[in-house]
Parts: sequence; C-alpha cells; structure tokens
Amino acid sequence: MTASDESLCRHCLLPVGRRALQQTVNGESCAFCCYGCSIAFQVKNGKTEEWEAAWLLIRLGVGGFLSMNIMLFSLLIYGGVFTGADARLLPFIDILLLVLATPAVVILGGPFLRETLVEGARGRLTASALIVLGVGAAYIYSTLAVIEGNAQVYFDTATMVLMLFTLGRYLEAAGRARAARDLEPLLAAERENVVVVENGTEIRRPVREVVAGTLVRVRPGERIAVDGVIIEGSSHADEAVITGESRPVEKGLGSAVIAGSINMEGLLLIRSSGSGTATRWAQICRSVRDALMRRSPIQRLADRAVGAAVPGVLLLGGLTVTYWAQWLPLDRAMLMGVAVLVVACPCAVGLAAPLATSIGIGRLARRGCLIRDAGALEALASVRLLAFDKTGTLTLGKARVVAIETTGVATADVLALAAGLERHSEHGLGHAVVSEAADRGVEFVPAHDVRAVPGRGIVGHVDGGTVAAGNLAFMRDLRFPVASGLAERGRRAEASGHSVIYVGWGDQTHAVISLDDAPVPEARVTIGALRARGLRMVVLTGDLAPAAHRVAAGLGIVDVRAGLTPEDKRIALDWHRKSRDLVAMVGDGLNDGLVLVEADVGIAVGTATDLARETASVVLPVGGLWLLPWIIDVARAVGTTVRTNLLWAFGYNLVALTLAASGMLQPIIAAAVMAGSSILVVLNSLRLERLPDPVPPQFLERPSDAETSRGGVGLPVALGPAIERG
Amino acid sequence: MTYYLVVFAAGFAGSFHCLGMCGGFACGLGRDPRGRGATILRHLLYNSGRLTTYCFVGALAGALGQIVCTRQGTTFLLLDGSLDAAERILAIVAGLLMIAMALQFFGVLHVFHRLAVGFGSSTFAMSLRSLLTTRSRTAPLAFGVLNGFLPCPLVYAFAAEAASTSQTLPGFLTMASFGLGTFPAMLAMGGVGRVLAPTWRQRGVWLAGSCILLLGLITLSRGLLPLDAHMSHGLLGGHPA
Repeated sequence: MTASDESLCRHCLLPVGRRALQQTVNGESCAFCCYGCSIAFQVKNGKTEEWEAAWLLIRLGVGGFLSMNIMLFSLLIYGGVFTGADARLLPFIDILLLVLATPAVVILGGPFLRETLVEGARGRLTASALIVLGVGAAYIYSTLAVIEGNAQVYFDTATMVLMLFTLGRYLEAAGRARAARDLEPLLAAERENVVVVENGTEIRRPVREVVAGTLVRVRPGERIAVDGVIIEGSSHADEAVITGESRPVEKGLGSAVIAGSINMEGLLLIRSSGSGTATRWAQICRSVRDALMRRSPIQRLADRAVGAAVPGVLLLGGLTVTYWAQWLPLDRAMLMGVAVLVVACPCAVGLAAPLATSIGIGRLARRGCLIRDAGALEALASVRLLAFDKTGTLTLGKARVVAIETTGVATADVLALAAGLERHSEHGLGHAVVSEAADRGVEFVPAHDVRAVPGRGIVGHVDGGTVAAGNLAFMRDLRFPVASGLAERGRRAEASGHSVIYVGWGDQTHAVISLDDAPVPEARVTIGALRARGLRMVVLTGDLAPAAHRVAAGLGIVDVRAGLTPEDKRIALDWHRKSRDLVAMVGDGLNDGLVLVEADVGIAVGTATDLARETASVVLPVGGLWLLPWIIDVARAVGTTVRTNLLWAFGYNLVALTLAASGMLQPIIAAAVMAGSSILVVLNSLRLERLPDPVPPQFLERPSDAETSRGGVGLPVALGPAIERG
Repeated sequence: MTYYLVVFAAGFAGSFHCLGMCGGFACGLGRDPRGRGATILRHLLYNSGRLTTYCFVGALAGALGQIVCTRQGTTFLLLDGSLDAAERILAIVAGLLMIAMALQFFGVLHVFHRLAVGFGSSTFAMSLRSLLTTRSRTAPLAFGVLNGFLPCPLVYAFAAEAASTSQTLPGFLTMASFGLGTFPAMLAMGGVGRVLAPTWRQRGVWLAGSCILLLGLITLSRGLLPLDAHMSHGLLGGHPA
C-alpha cells in the first residue's frame, strides 16, 4: 500500500483505503471511505445552497417514496387483500409496481452500480457487486414476469434491499462520526485558524502562517493554537492533550502557554514563540493522523478475509440457486440466491477493527498519550511483561552530586574539567555535574573533540591532553589506571546505590564523583496498579546493581538486571520474549532508542524530544508514567472490543449465510439483519467511549507543584534523559 | 367505517398540535414563484410524501401485528393457546400508549413530548430544512417522505394503534385515515401561511386528546375485557377484518 492512496475519511476519520470516494462538498474536495459516510457528511454539513447535498436528500426521499409505495402494495398483496374478486386487479398492480420500481432501482442502486463498475474495471470485486447482482436478478426476473403476465413479482425485494442498505450505511456512518468526535480536535492543528492582531486589527489567519513574535488573540473556550507567552489577560488552561492532566492550570501575565491547550475563561493575547507548525501539538496531530492510517495486523487479516469472501459468496449464491432450482420453481430458488448474496455483505468485518482502534487512539491522544500505529495498541493489550529502564523512567533522572572523592587534586579542578566535558552531554548525570559546578561558581575548562560513548562515558581534549568522565570500565578502556584507594571508595559509593562518575586526565584517574537519584513520586503507585493488572515487571538498567536494587526494592520490583549495555538490554528482552510472548519496554525514549524499537511495544515516558524522531510506538507525556495502567486498560478494552466485533461479524455472517443458503431467510429480512450487523459493531465499539478517565495519584493533585517540578510541560526541558554508564 | 372517521377526526384535530413543528415546515415551503398552481403542487407533493410514509408505517405495523398474532404460523412464535393472548397484549400496549399520549395532550404527561422535541431538533431535522429552499420540483416530495419519519408522538400513537389491528389492510387504513386527517390543516398552513389563533390551537389539541383517549380506551378494552374482542369494533362499526 503506497502513501498516495492513503488518507482519512472526511466523515469518520477511518482510513479510506483504496476505495476512496471523492466528492465536492461546500466547494471542497473530500475523500470518503464509503457511500454511507458520504451521505452522512453531506446531510450534516452540506450547505443549503449546495446543490449536491440537497440532491442527495432528494434522491433518498424520492427513492424512499417509491420503495415505500412498492412495499405498501406488496404488503397488501401478501396480506391477502387482493384475493377472490379483487384478484383481477393483480396484473395492473404488477405493472404499477414496475413503473414505481424502475426509477427507484436507478436512484437507489446507482451508487452501488457505479462502485461495482469502477472497482470491476480495476479487476476487483467488492461487496457492492453482491448487492448489484442480487438486486439486479430480482428486478430483471420481476420485469420479465410482468411482461409474460406472470403473477409473482419481487420488486419489493429489489427496492427494499437497496433502501435498507442505504439506510444501514447512513446510520452506520452517523455512528462512526460519533467516534470521530474525539479525534476531530486532534486532527485540527493543520486546519486551525487563529485570530492574529496586526496594527490593532484582528484578522483570521491559518495557523501555519504564524511565526515567532506573532500576536494571537484567544477567546474563552477556544483552543490555543500556538506556543507562546501571555502578554495580556489571565485565565485557566486545560492542557490535557499535552500533559494528560485535565486539571486547569492557572495562567497569568507572562505565563507560558502550550499549543493544543484550551483557554477556559479569560480573553488572552499571546505572543507566539515559534512557528505555528512546529508546536508539539502540531506534531501530535501529525502523529495521530499517521497512526490512524496504519492498518494493524488483525485489520490486514480481516481485509484479506473480506477480499476473499466476495468471490466465495458469489459462488455460494450460484450453488444455492442451482441446488434449489432442482426442487423449486426458478423464482423461489433465485430468491434464496439473492438472500445469500445480500446477507453475506462483509461490511461489518471490515469495520470491526479500525473503528475500535481509532476510538482507542482518540481516547488516549486526548490525554497526551500517543499511539504511533494501531498494531502497537493491539500488541499492548496482550503484553504480559513490562521491562522498565530505571534512570529517567522510574527515577527522576535528576541526579545531584553528593560527594567528590579525589586522589589529592582540588575538587574545583575536577569539577571544572568534568563540567567542561559534560556540558556537551545529554546525560542526566552530566547535567548534575554541570549544575554542581555552576552552583559552586567553578569556571569550566572548555574541551574540544568531545565524543560520547554510549554505556561508557564521554571523552574530549583539553590542551592536547585527553580528559574523560565515565564508568570504571571506560577508564580501563582508556588505560587510565585507577588508584586502589579511589577504586575502593567508588565501589563503596556504588554499593550504597549511588551513581558514580570517574574523572581522569593526564593518563590517570583522579577523582570519583558520587551522585544520587530519586524515584519518580508516582512510580510506586503505578507499579502497584500494573501488578494488579497481572503484569510482570523487570528493571533493565545500565546502572550498577546496588543503585538499581535500591530503587527497584523501593518500588516493589524483584527482578532487576543491572549493568547492561543497550545491546545487553536487547538480549535480555529477547530472553524474556521466549518465555512470555509479548514484551513491552518502558524507557525515556532518548537513549533507549534501540531497545524501544526492539521490544514488541516500545513505550517512551517523559521525553520532550521531536516526536517525528521518536522511535517508541507509544509516547507518554512528560511526567506521564502514572497514565500507564490506564493505557493498558484502554488497550485491553480495545482488544476485547475488536475480538468481540470480529467474532460477532464473522459468526453472524456464517449463521446468516447458512440460514440463507438453506432458504430460511427472506432477502428483505436478510438485508435488514445485515445492515443491523454493522450498526451493532458500531454500537459495540462506541462503548469504548464510556471507559473511565485516568485518575491521577493523590500527590499529583497539588496545583502548580507538578508544573514547576516538571519544568513546564511539553516544552523542551532538560529533564535528565540519561545514558546509563554504570 | 365509524372507526376510521374517529381516526380521521383525531388526525385532523391532532394536526393543530403538529402546527408547531410540521406547520413550520409547511410554511417554509411557502409559495412557488412559478404561480399559484405550482404552489399548490408543491404542498400536495409534500403532503403526499408524508402520507406515503404514514401509510407505509401503518401497513408495516399491521403486518408485524399479523406476524405476532398469526393464525397459521403458530409453530414458530406462539403456542396455540396463547394466540388470543398475543392479540390482547398488543391491544393493551397500544391502548396504554394511546392513553398516555392523550394525557400528554391534556398536559398531564410530558415524557413523549420531550422525547419528540429531543429528536426533532437533531441534526437530521436541521439538515432537512435545507430541502425547503431547493428549487427542485421533487424536493417537496422528498421532504415530505423524510418529514414523515421525524419522531412525533401522534405518529407513534397511531402506529401502535395500527399494529393492534394485527392485519395489513386495517393497519394501512388506520394510518391513511390519520394522515388524511392531517391534510386540511397542513394544506391550509401552506396556503394561509400564518399560525392559527392560540385559543383555536388549544381547542384542537383538546379535541385530539379526546379522540385519542377514546380510541385508546377502546383498544385497551379489546385487550382487557373478557367479552368478545370484536364488541368494541361493533361499537364503532368495526374495521373490515
């Protein structure tokens, strides 16, 4: 499947696939995934003056008028009204029915016929072909019967099947639009307009024209579409889309606001801090759009089944007619064949997975949790083991220096050289060293040719000499000898669970810096909640065993594997995968890139990185570890819904097919149950909307605290993403 | 025959109640610039559309009633002994619905009205309005057909009544009489184009309530009285069974 034939249906936001229906509504070209969506969208959004929207309703109304009249007369015939003396009226009524049915079939069947022909020209058989064939057979047979003066006609079957299918598709699409309601604001970033204030006048402009410094007016209740600073007014903002917390955040003069949040009550004037398309919200929107367009494995399977079903059903229909024609008159046999064709329309199967998945993705995205493809959501539902990275995930990753042991050199020199190296580092421990040096007022010694060695440390040059900071192994790699006393002190610090950085220069290791890290406040509650969901948890960390054990024990995780390189982590994951099929890895998304990709589901927590470069398939908002149990709940609910949907759709089709092939189902009833089947799938999926929202742990309830401790949500902050070096 | 006349009267009187919503639609159809004949045609098309829907619903309800109470197909739905019971239950349900509707017309119950208004203002109804302004000659017909499906307590009541007749033809005739009953007021709305004085509307609503109450009581008695079920039909001349 190429990218060019993939986009989202304008109405229900499901992928349109290869069978896109292009239509112009309100002067805008829109793609729809099906006929039903095209109807529902036009009925809802078509402007009065718009000829097409009105024409569609007129067609439906006139089609309804004709088919209801046909059904009315047919019901009277079946009710035995035209018997006895009135039987002579029957031929005239049949002619009347023909007169009514012909335009009805043309009006209502047109879209189905067009789809069949278009797809047929491309060599594909679709569900519409089944309807066209069934209805066509009933109509042509009845027309011939009228010409021959035969009493038995089936115009009611032909028109009611079309009417019911049209109605069913309309209702189904209307239901799907409800599911799309949740997603709509998440896809709005690209289409959003903002009120720009220029020379005192307010002009509506597309958000993509916003640049740094643009003044944007936001009214109460509106969504803030740009990142920026408030320069006039005050209000509260709902930042759930970015942070996952729906608690309003107070905003005053000078407060930073995040694109995607909702301005609650005040009129604001905001100075944009960047381009309108570079916001995290815009990235989220693009990511959600991508996720919706990707088909999950189960969906591809269902699609293949649908593709294979159509020829199979045609065959079965033919066999049914041939079989019954041996015992019954041809018209009765044909009616049974029509019932088979009509009842086997696999619309519900095709709808089962994508609808539930997109509702799930929408639910999660509204709380700032991004799912990058539908398959990840599916896999997450059946994950049995969660592997956690420690630093930056279970701990704040915000280490601070607690001790500096030296071989006699001045601590200030150690800090000056180490900070000169570490300010080039993205590492959490590195930041701690830099801020410690800054706090003590130590001037950095600038280093050049700085190079980070993942899992080891960082190395550079100062005045021709090599300077390095990293773990013990790194010192050995560089052949920097470590004095036994220093090594012993380092070991002791590590034994008590501290992180240590050895600092060496001049071919000698001179100092060891001890650092400490604290667990994320919500980690304990989260781990408990995950355990209650029957998940097993392990910690895979590059940190040394004592620190890892200290943190893990505090959180109640027994299984800890420490001192791992990224490659080791990958091997550990593989090992776990052998015993427990699906394994998810929770990391900070920056330095676990490789492992997150390798895991069945990579979950990145708390990164403020560019989403486009993100390797994890699930991305939680900054400080969003507490959302993990809820995400598992949603994924499982989606999984259950997809399975029940598929079971229902397949089971229903099989039972109905059997009944129809054995001649126990009238085509009209068959069309009604078939339309009902899709609607039931929609209703079953819509139950996902009633899932409870996540409840933040008690200690997150304190206002402003979360905000400050997390350094302003969503904005690129140095929250200590760490490369473990041991 | 008398039975259908009562239904007609209920439809006629009840249509004063309808003027609120459907009357607005009829007014909206307005006059056709192509002349008086075209205007009349517009309104006739609109009303025949509505009538078609009502008749269809009636026949369908009657047929469904017939299936439930069928005398031949006893094997698949009901045992022999409960045949009469099914008819009675249907009559009781329909009768109670009618009485509830009548009480609502007298201002005692409000459930159905809320239900209807809730649906009536839905997007479907809103988008239907777009048909009113379309120049197409067939638009009024389509509008009438779809309008007929808009939820309305009166239609529910008579659909229930149609089902309780448990035959296609009487079901059809019940709804047809009701639909024809609503014709004069709706046509007048289109022609006159202004709302009737509130006192007259109120009287109409009361009259409709009385007719519906009477029909409801008769239907209910068909289900409850241990007498011959056809007595009540005899009372009003009966419908052709």
